Amino acid sequence: MNYLQMAVPPRSAHLWRYTPWHRIHPTKPEELPQADSVSFEVEGFELSSMTPESDASEIARAFLKEAGGSSSRLAVKGTGETIHIKARASGHVAVGHLELDIKGDVTILLHLSGDAGWCGIHLSGRIHPNSNLGFGFINELDQTTKLLRCDDWLLERDASFDHATLSVGGFNCKSDLRCTLNGTGSSIRQSVTAHGQGARHDDHHIEIHHLHGNTNSNLVTNAACAGSSHFVATGLLTIAEGADGTDAGQVFRNLLLSEKARAEAIPELEVLADDVSAAHGAASAPIDPAQLHYLMSRGLSPEESESMIVNGFLIDAFSNLKDESLIEQMRTRLTVHLECELKR
Amino acid sequence: MSEEMLRVENLHVSVDNTPILKGLNITINRGEIHAIMGRNGAGKSTLANVVMGHPAYEITSGEIYFHGQPLDELAVFERARAGMFLSFQYPAVIPGVQVGTFLKKSVASVRDEPPKGRAFRKELNEAMGKLEMDKSFLSRYVNDGFSGGEKKRLEILQMLLLKPKLALLDETDSGLDIDALRIVSKGINEIAPEAGCLIITHYQRLLDHVKPHYVHALIDGTIVKTGGPELALELEERGYDWLDAAA
Repeated sequence: MNYLQMAVPPRSAHLWRYTPWHRIHPTKPEELPQADSVSFEVEGFELSSMTPESDASEIARAFLKEAGGSSSRLAVKGTGETIHIKARASGHVAVGHLELDIKGDVTILLHLSGDAGWCGIHLSGRIHPNSNLGFGFINELDQTTKLLRCDDWLLERDASFDHATLSVGGFNCKSDLRCTLNGTGSSIRQSVTAHGQGARHDDHHIEIHHLHGNTNSNLVTNAACAGSSHFVATGLLTIAEGADGTDAGQVFRNLLLSEKARAEAIPELEVLADDVSAAHGAASAPIDPAQLHYLMSRGLSPEESESMIVNGFLIDAFSNLKDESLIEQMRTRLTVHLECELKR
Repeated sequence: MSEEMLRVENLHVSVDNTPILKGLNITINRGEIHAIMGRNGAGKSTLANVVMGHPAYEITSGEIYFHGQPLDELAVFERARAGMFLSFQYPAVIPGVQVGTFLKKSVASVRDEPPKGRAFRKELNEAMGKLEMDKSFLSRYVNDGFSGGEKKRLEILQMLLLKPKLALLDETDSGLDIDALRIVSKGINEIAPEAGCLIITHYQRLLDHVKPHYVHALIDGTIVKTGGPELALELEERGYDWLDAAA
């Protein structure tokens, strides 16, 4: 079935509860605009072209596949240095597909920027057996851009994946991030850090599927919401029948910095195995007055104290990662962002 | 003539409309160490918090003066910048904020001139050396996952770096083992000659290491007896019941 034949998903679906399809579509759901290309640049590596493959039954992926845009593939076999991918979106509607094939130990940072009216990006990746990927996605799109992002990652036996997102760009963002642990001993540590300002709307749906036993997953989302911004995190953690020995945890934390800011955190679990450890938690609260008082008692002004707490709260989301290089670079980008915001 | 650091006059304080301090008076001069002892709930921590400007406490009457100036118009951070320091009984955890970053920012806030890189590192290393703290402390998040003893050492490290004129130490000795108590006491003794110190404690053992000039017994929101170091020994031996009649 192609996109135009598909029914618009109802808002009762977990994935579309807070950001319905019509809200993230670039025009009208019954239209399929032909997209310009998101440009991908990688220093020192050759990108090859590819034909995007995706689950045709899922509306966002079907839409991105049929809208066209650019399609690139990067195969990497162990490298000592961080690979920086620059993705740039411009024009009315821009779409890019990027497929990653990872062997050995690799760290990649994808910087997404540009002033497109609407940006769609589909990332897919395969992490081969016994390989380790540290991947950081930095959304620094213009504040007027709408973003639809879909990720599909496959981890094979004993593969390890550090997956970090820094979401500070775009006006209306919908991310559907899916990861499948498809081999015994594979593990993912995932963090999402989001900073909402103005009326920014940022929705992350995160699925982690444990298909085999002795797999681990750890997800942390930290969102600081100012102005009348709205952050959404819906999680879906599934543990398949027979995937015993699985250890999975999800924590969603939101810091509400104004009375009009809103945040939703809804983890969901589907556990079909017997011998597993699966935990989830969610918390939304304003800044703890005890933290503010403590910092002010050390001479920091109320504004400096709040800024330090917000900065720390957001940086803390990266604490569950192991890839030191990735952590350092994500922290640096976050600090630069917050310093720029302070100067505004 | 002695230099007055803190003067509290007939202080009445309430929390959620419940009176805690009921006419408390105390004066602390430069170079003096005062210890306040009392039962749980007597108002010891309330005194420290209200002097530092905690917003949860309401001063219903009385005055607090720092260096002869009334404090009521000064916000918490302005009190810190003026030279006041509170070592918290339960210091807040600040996830994601590294100790090193926090210390530098804090020192820059209270000093007229921000600390310079190399000079500050030297100063920091010396202070940490005195408190037998490992450099790995600096990259940890503020009080995050710290043991009770580590939290108290970090409080004293901040005090050494901030060089306050008035130090309020709220049960800094609680939860410390013998070695940690000795180390923390060393830090207090270092700043004491140049500052006024108010030590809130339940136990005599801290006062074996830090010799107070005055010991005050606080009963039901009022200081009912003041003496020298011998009063602490007497309180430890006899408890507080014998002072109830004076309250």
